[in-house]
Amino acid sequence: MAGGAKAAELIARGARLALAALFVYAGVVKALGPGEFALAIDNYRLLPFPLAAALALYLPWLEIASGLGVLWPKTRLGALSLLAGLGLVFLSALASGVARGLDIECGCFGHGHAGRPALIASLVRAALLVLVATALLWRESRVPQKGKPIVP
Amino acid sequence: MKQAGALLLIALLPALVAAALHPRRPAWSRELMSMPEVTLEQTRHWEGRVLWVDARREADYQQRHIPNAVWLAEEQWERQLPEVLQVWQPGVSVVVYCNDEGCALSQSVARRLRRDTGIDGIWVLKGGWNAWLGAQKRRS
Repeated sequence: MAGGAKAAELIARGARLALAALFVYAGVVKALGPGEFALAIDNYRLLPFPLAAALALYLPWLEIASGLGVLWPKTRLGALSLLAGLGLVFLSALASGVARGLDIECGCFGHGHAGRPALIASLVRAALLVLVATALLWRESRVPQKGKPIVP
Repeated sequence: MKQAGALLLIALLPALVAAALHPRRPAWSRELMSMPEVTLEQTRHWEGRVLWVDARREADYQQRHIPNAVWLAEEQWERQLPEVLQVWQPGVSVVVYCNDEGCALSQSVARRLRRDTGIDGIWVLKGGWNAWLGAQKRRS
């Protein structure tokens, strides 16, 4: 039993590191080129351009902050909630792009491959990230917080 | 909730700084950021001094393309760009196209082309490949 719990914690730690690294990297790449990211968001034709521009300026920093937040126990729960939420938003946008047959690039990691096959690959990747973030979130929500009663 | 709120706020400060100072910050209007568009009709006045660049998938390009168009895709950029530059001459306008109005590939390729080559006269074909096809059908 104890061995199982240790293994689970190791896997969770690895998953947190990978998730954090991915979102911090994605955030940094997009923070370096917010203009291009704004155009990538605009290509989905879901938002007015000024809002796309505002998101292009803000989202990369939220990804960086949340990615780093996953690594610190005091902010982990909130960070995982945000990453799961962000992942769901990206997933919805990608699904919408695929469903409408848009020939665009994901915009997930700054400059990337454009076109439908690349978009579908990004969709699958986003779904996996949401899955991992949600699983970690569920696990973290069951960790006893200091000063709060242990929930069985 | 508090943790998420704190992270949302922490991200806001660098975002505001970027909005004010980032050299590659977005304009607040799409038109200011888009590559200029040109219609097929307008290109006819350029007396053939046009280099067509096809930004669609390679399979689509191989199947059919605007006569003398070169293929340039982002995933083959390092390999294809020198070949495109070999064909281009000063004074020739570059017109990039992809499938249609809903396709953003041509804008993306045109922007990257301008950034990487410094060529001034780079345009995006309004209506893309579909516009050219439509024009061919109207002629026949």
